[in-house]
Amino acid sequence: MVIPPLRRKAMRDLRRLWAQALAIALVLAAGVATLILGNGAHRALSETRDRYYTDYRFADLFSDVVRAPLSLVEDMRRIEGVIRVEARIVKLGRPEIPGLAEPASVLLVSLPGEEGLNALHLRAGRLPDATAADEAVISQDFALAHGLQQGARLVVVMNGKRRALSVTGIALSPEFIYALGPGEIMPDPRRFGVVWLPRPALEQAFDLKGAFSNVVLGLAPGVSGAGVATALDRLTAPYGGGGATGRGDQISHAFLDAELRQLGAMVKILPPIFLLVAAMLVHMTLSRLITLEREQIGLLKALGYSPVQIARHYLEFVLLIAAAGILAGFAAGAWLGAGLAELYARFFSFPFLVFGTDPRVYGLAALVTALAAVAGALQSLRAVLALPPAIAMAPPVPADYRQSGHGILQAIPLRQTGRMVVRHLWHWPVRTASSVLGMAMAVAILVASLWSFGSIDHMIHVTFGLAERQDVKMIFTAPEPLRALSEVRHMPGVMAAEPFRVIPAKLVHGTRSKRVAVEGRSADARLSRVLAPDLRPMPMPADGLILSEALADAMALRRGDVVQVRFLEGKRTVVDLPVSGISVGFMGLGASMDLAALGRAAGEGPRISGANLLLDPDATPAFFAAAASAPKTGFLNVTDLTVSRFRATLAENITLMITVYVTLATIIAMGVVYNFSRIALSEQGRELASLRVLGFTRHEVAGVILLELAIVVLLAQPLGWLIGHGIGLAMVAAFSSDLYRVPFVMGREVYATASLIVLAAAILSALAIRGRVDRLDLIAVLKTRE
Amino acid sequence: MPERGTIIEARGLTKTYRNGPTEVRALRDVDFAARRGEFVVVLGPSGSGKSTFLNILGGIDSASSGSVLFDGQDITRFGEKALTRYRRDHVGFVFQFYNLVPSLTALENVALVTEIAARPMRPEEALDIVGLSGRHGHFPAQLSGGEQQRVAIARAIAKRPDLLFCDEPTGALDSATGVLVLDALVEANRTTGATTLIITHNATIQQIADRTLRFADGHIVDEIANATRKRPGDLSW
Repeated sequence: MVIPPLRRKAMRDLRRLWAQALAIALVLAAGVATLILGNGAHRALSETRDRYYTDYRFADLFSDVVRAPLSLVEDMRRIEGVIRVEARIVKLGRPEIPGLAEPASVLLVSLPGEEGLNALHLRAGRLPDATAADEAVISQDFALAHGLQQGARLVVVMNGKRRALSVTGIALSPEFIYALGPGEIMPDPRRFGVVWLPRPALEQAFDLKGAFSNVVLGLAPGVSGAGVATALDRLTAPYGGGGATGRGDQISHAFLDAELRQLGAMVKILPPIFLLVAAMLVHMTLSRLITLEREQIGLLKALGYSPVQIARHYLEFVLLIAAAGILAGFAAGAWLGAGLAELYARFFSFPFLVFGTDPRVYGLAALVTALAAVAGALQSLRAVLALPPAIAMAPPVPADYRQSGHGILQAIPLRQTGRMVVRHLWHWPVRTASSVLGMAMAVAILVASLWSFGSIDHMIHVTFGLAERQDVKMIFTAPEPLRALSEVRHMPGVMAAEPFRVIPAKLVHGTRSKRVAVEGRSADARLSRVLAPDLRPMPMPADGLILSEALADAMALRRGDVVQVRFLEGKRTVVDLPVSGISVGFMGLGASMDLAALGRAAGEGPRISGANLLLDPDATPAFFAAAASAPKTGFLNVTDLTVSRFRATLAENITLMITVYVTLATIIAMGVVYNFSRIALSEQGRELASLRVLGFTRHEVAGVILLELAIVVLLAQPLGWLIGHGIGLAMVAAFSSDLYRVPFVMGREVYATASLIVLAAAILSALAIRGRVDRLDLIAVLKTRE
Repeated sequence: MPERGTIIEARGLTKTYRNGPTEVRALRDVDFAARRGEFVVVLGPSGSGKSTFLNILGGIDSASSGSVLFDGQDITRFGEKALTRYRRDHVGFVFQFYNLVPSLTALENVALVTEIAARPMRPEEALDIVGLSGRHGHFPAQLSGGEQQRVAIARAIAKRPDLLFCDEPTGALDSATGVLVLDALVEANRTTGATTLIITHNATIQQIADRTLRFADGHIVDEIANATRKRPGDLSW
């Protein structure tokens, strides 16, 4: 096969300019990789979830009742839009796990019926025999955490009675993709799991024969959940119904949703940055290359090549670079995507993971990248192709620096080499600006990722250091009279105990409403406190509510406004309460009241849901042992465990994220610096060699290029901080959900670290250039004209 | 008047380099000496070795053997740093294509050198010598070829060099402009007392020199001393 001479030239040009081409290709690859990774992971997660939900019939509405007769199910079926009803028994039980210090809990759930909702995906074993009272299926993470396998024995205390269960299988459920214990913020599979049993076993254990404690509904496609929920609430209200919630308020779904939103935000923010920088790099490099090739282009035209043929030659050159970038990006994106999918699979319990390669995402990535590269090239090509061959073949007229900040510079006392640098930068404003912007983007990406460390520390400090200072939050199986507190106080190791009451309620303000848990604390609570925006503890008002900022924002409420509170438990009173204050809080939507005021408002008198405890560190094991056998113990939130799991999980996610971002930012920084300096060197090589002949040392001559580079890099820093700050704010907005709010903590160390990393990358690139300055050919300079 | 002792001397200067498989002997055993303030024109066809000779004397190329004594010191033994120092303090260069920095004005191009030189004249003074007092603020793009070359001469002499080396200084210029440039060189030589070596193809120029060397095949084949020097204004080609 005969390779056309122009193609051969393109290949040779590529070989000659390999380092610059590589720098551009890597930046392009970074853009492609983030696009594929982000889109791929987003798609994988949402498609996996959708398929899982469909295949395993994930319910649309969820409602707890105290005890309702099974006959109610028929009425529920008659609600318009309802296609499936699953009346279940859902209760907390306490497994006895040898060697586990802190008591664990399991959610006992009656097995779904044939073709029922929230079907199980069996990972191992079989479903229990419908009539067997001692067979159970357990959730996979819990089984893994305790090495429980099919055939294992598990003792669970149900309603105060010990029952030995035989594990017949290990399963997953679409209801518990993200399995959180009551009141927990991080999953802890050691201390919380799900156990599915045949209905008769639970009926017997909890004395619920012919009754249910929880119902889930499947709706016909397109049916509004709100309408059905209202009808359902009407039916369940007499039976202690706590109000129906949709998927949006279902914990597992809500966490997945938050994750999807974050990924969606990443896909929108990162790839465009890379593609923009890559387009600018291609433009910079190619316009210089084409300037150098001016004579050759003139010659080719003189020889009879058409402008289209010549343009095609240069586009081929660009597309070769783009193709290398795209392929590398495909590989990196697929590899990182698989890594991310693995992380998800570990974090969320999916039976399968759809990480299909969507050819459209790959096609889009390739197309956008090629277009960015071609767009970068076209402009420079157009200028040269417009020249008549004779003029193109003559050397270009020397650059005219009259307009290049002459007047201003005259006034500033600078060495002549300094003047050269500033005028050169000024003379090519677009290139200088693109380089500054490119470097700034590298800084911005780092700023926008590094702030999360400080933010998490702040979140932990505020949440666990200042607000929730208890060692253990003990949640009772059911609300108890206030005197239960004195029993708790007498448990071993308890140094202080403060009561709390949590009542689910719907807050209504105008057209807005939110389902929240209103938490009552004693006025002088010292362990669990509510904090004002200045982080000082807020005293509980005599009556009235304190809302977290997130809730107040979502409900458009301010201090002094009145909000309607519809309690969803007990007497289900509806009261209007003033908003007495706004508090900070990063987890969930918080509403707090004075304990007594809450009792009055709910019409139930002094009852408590549990107690916040301060423990004697030496007596902690004794406390846990006592708590495990106390019948009232429903669940224990152990602060130390929560914090360490919180840190570990976030550390894993963030370390991965930061590694990716730092790599990407370094690629951008090195790509920009290397290309910028190579171009500066190619343009001024002759001047610099002349300086050497005139008696300037290597050091002084390298200083000229390095000074130019330093100015670009320095100008980029504040701009990068600013852009990074903006991206950070956008991320905070995108990441915030009803589940958590990320505080925006941007310390000086974030800017400093980002700048240091970029400076290090710039210095590495500069060192590569320094060698070239040292090898300038002094004699060639004397003999040639440009 | 400047002192008339020997300022630079080459002994047995030889330069061999490889050009692919062939070995090229650019200089063969050249002996040469110049006095302080002397004005020397070096003639010869392309490839005769005259530029290599000038480059080695100027400290921008190395010799294969032989020595170059400047003020008694053998510069062929100099390292990179000492050579830079030598060029910086003692040598002025004028190139065929001027090699001005396009982003600096005429005055700033001269100041570029005066800023680093040990005992420079004021940049304005150097421009006066070459007759460009009215063009201080002009950028190279605003100057004619002849004017650019005179700025280059001003830049070369502003450090008060001991040696002024010019490689084809009029090569890119027409006759009338070339004469102006030669005028500037003669004036510079007269004012600064720098020993001046001019390489040229143009035999007419030898008439303004104290002495003319003729190079062929890497050595000096002829050396003529001029009893009387013409003024550049009397030349034309």
